Amino acid sequence: MSLFRRNVLPDRQEAAIQKTVSHLRAQRRNRFRILACIDGTDESFISVRKAARFGASDECDIIILYVRPIDTGLHSGGLQVRLARQNMMESGFELPGVSHLKRALDILKAEGLDVSDWSREVQNQDAWGDPAGDNKIEYKGPTGRSVVLKLKTAPDVAVGILDQYELGPYNLIIVGAPSRWRSEFRSLFDSGVVQTIATMAPCSVMVARKQNERMGFLFAIDGTARSMQLVRRGAVLAHVMQRDISLLSVAPDEAARPAAQEAVANAQALLKAMGITTLEARVAVGDVATSIVEVGNNYGTIVVNDERRTKMERLLRGSVATEVVRRAATSVLEVR
Amino acid sequence: MSAEQASFLLARDSLLANEVSSGLHRIRRRGYQRYVLWKNFIDFSLLWKRRWFIIAMFLGFALMTAPTPAGLTHQGQIVLCMSLISTILFASEAVPLPTVPLLIIVGEVVLLGIDPTVVAQSLMTDSVLFIMGSLMLAVAVVKQRLDKRIAWWIVRITGTNLYAISFGLVVVCGLLAAFIGEHTVAAMMLPVGVTLISLTSNEPTKVRNVAAVLLFSICYGCSIAGVATPSGGARNAIMISYWKSLFFNPEDPATNRYIMDYLHWALYAFPMFLLRLPFVTLLLAWTFKPETTDMTRSIARLRTQVAMQGPMRGSEWMTILIFGVTITAWVGFSQHLGLGTIAIAGTAAFLIFGLVRWEDINAGVNWGVIWLYAAAISLGVEMKATGAAEWVAHSMLHGMQAVNANGLFPFNFTISVLTIFVSNTMTAGAAVAVLAPIVLNTAVASGHDPLATGFLSAISSAFGYLTPAAQPAFTIVYASGYLKASDFMKIGVRMMILSFMVLMLLAQYYWPQLS
Repeated sequence: MSLFRRNVLPDRQEAAIQKTVSHLRAQRRNRFRILACIDGTDESFISVRKAARFGASDECDIIILYVRPIDTGLHSGGLQVRLARQNMMESGFELPGVSHLKRALDILKAEGLDVSDWSREVQNQDAWGDPAGDNKIEYKGPTGRSVVLKLKTAPDVAVGILDQYELGPYNLIIVGAPSRWRSEFRSLFDSGVVQTIATMAPCSVMVARKQNERMGFLFAIDGTARSMQLVRRGAVLAHVMQRDISLLSVAPDEAARPAAQEAVANAQALLKAMGITTLEARVAVGDVATSIVEVGNNYGTIVVNDERRTKMERLLRGSVATEVVRRAATSVLEVR
Repeated sequence: MSAEQASFLLARDSLLANEVSSGLHRIRRRGYQRYVLWKNFIDFSLLWKRRWFIIAMFLGFALMTAPTPAGLTHQGQIVLCMSLISTILFASEAVPLPTVPLLIIVGEVVLLGIDPTVVAQSLMTDSVLFIMGSLMLAVAVVKQRLDKRIAWWIVRITGTNLYAISFGLVVVCGLLAAFIGEHTVAAMMLPVGVTLISLTSNEPTKVRNVAAVLLFSICYGCSIAGVATPSGGARNAIMISYWKSLFFNPEDPATNRYIMDYLHWALYAFPMFLLRLPFVTLLLAWTFKPETTDMTRSIARLRTQVAMQGPMRGSEWMTILIFGVTITAWVGFSQHLGLGTIAIAGTAAFLIFGLVRWEDINAGVNWGVIWLYAAAISLGVEMKATGAAEWVAHSMLHGMQAVNANGLFPFNFTISVLTIFVSNTMTAGAAVAVLAPIVLNTAVASGHDPLATGFLSAISSAFGYLTPAAQPAFTIVYASGYLKASDFMKIGVRMMILSFMVLMLLAQYYWPQLS
């Protein structure tokens, strides 16, 4: 009997946990959740600024994430680094990353999102056997809004960010500009953090850059149903942020120009139906990624749609979205 | 509907949150993280990550099956191939490092045909016991939290000037590291450095250079003293082990000098610490140019913190007493009792008096390192036994003769540069374990003193200053997050040049007097 009971109880607990998690996720799906990832560099804090601007309305939650690699290695001469780390924490010192999260909070304040009066909840969770584990501070506003500072432990930064999505879900992940971007072939074996996130994240990803921060959006469209979704969803975001919207469709050759013109006309019609005005509409002929980057560098954000190509497809056929993310000098929003 | 009238809900109308877990298999529900990690083990990226392992294995087996060079036995050829594979794996870290010693043990039994009991016995020497004992002692000492008291003792002597405090830190860290190992002191003193930085300014970025001066004072204090005595680092114990196993013959009294005791080591190597001591703070000041040199405010707050800790507790006095007895025993009785036995006895005393828990020791020591050194020493002994070390030494000697590097200075120069190069590609202990049989045999073949050459190699292996991973103390201090990797390169080059010059002077003028 006892054996039977032992088996039943965890199942019931598991079911209860699943129910709670499903409920939480359902609640979260009614919020616009932004995951801004920082690594301590100045470039990465642009993502926090962007998050504050995107998430200015009450229906937005902002989660600032810093991923700290696990303390491992034989380089410390046989003495585990965690011993030194524990020593520091017992002395009351912060983990690497805490100061960056504090700076992120200051940036949010400078952007008008002051959480100092909000209620505060601190959580700590074991992770990967690390003595510090995962740490989270959640600020809850009077309107139900939340701002979360999360210090996460993971064997690898990209894995940590993707794992955080699983705990979400999120509507948008914002990362800073990449310091390295491998070719499609090399990325099969060794890709940078931003590259991994941009290609593997299940939700839309923005690669934030400083240039033209306060200028409008350029939607790069190709006439497909997916690009019309881009127009519809991107336009809502731009409208809420009160940014101008411009449209660009690039035809690879002159023969494709009419199709590109039609795509632009369709997008304009859709925006008009939504009650949103378009600043300008352009059609260009040439290499698609190059043209989008050339035109888009004069705007605040280039919006492209993800083609959902697999690694192998990207290797063989390339990807316009990936090319634009890599080469643009301004921020790029990859819509999924 | 006009734009002004349009009203949207972002979560519903704009970018959608994709629900990756819904309807998928349970394993994917458990997290993208596990999915990604799981993928890492089945896709090509694992092969890419293990590329150096595959290359090393192919190269090693190709060389093993190649015709044996003249003057080398087939067993010697196999040992050399195993050393080559180990070196590639040490340097590339293509597999988790504890895998390398495990492979060495398997290789000794399977490829060299040595009796498994003999291999097992060769793994545990007094030096390995010493490395194990000092690591356990390190955990016990770090756990006592004497850091703030030590810092307070330092600043009471040095005053509040940053450079004076930096010099004080170098001296105290150095004196401690000379006896209890650099990693112990780094782990123990790191909170001191961070305390001083955080008390100087609430914004660490505003005092970045002050932070660099203080933290590098700890790094270099530990680093320059790690060679001063046998208990300063694993590399020293490994070299002592090689001298004994390669040159000591109980029937020949002339070889008694190869049983290196504590005092004799200090006689050779302690000047390396003393001669570099005055230059460390100067180099740090020159390189980092701190934002402020007045630490009055932070010292006052440190004093408050120490005062709040109250008077010294019984456990703290007991820690100091046990450590004092251990060091005295190392200095006075190591030749009879062995360094390892004394270290183990010290650890036992800490456990008996309840000053540390076994669970803490178990969690704080990286046991893979002990395997690493044990297997590397075992392989080094096999290099000697199969004649491989002698063959490589003669080949190296021919090469040196070809470039007229026969004299004392060119010989020392070559050995030192070779060791520095290898130790910058792997940990110092592993570098000494791999190189020592070769350089010691080269010394014999070229008529130089193996003792001086051993010291040259052991000390040069501590000159890996360029990266945070080069030395245990660096790795520990770097983990605090206050230093950048480029800082190590900036100061490391200067420190390396200084250390190299001091070493050459000692090897040329001081050690011949001792011989």
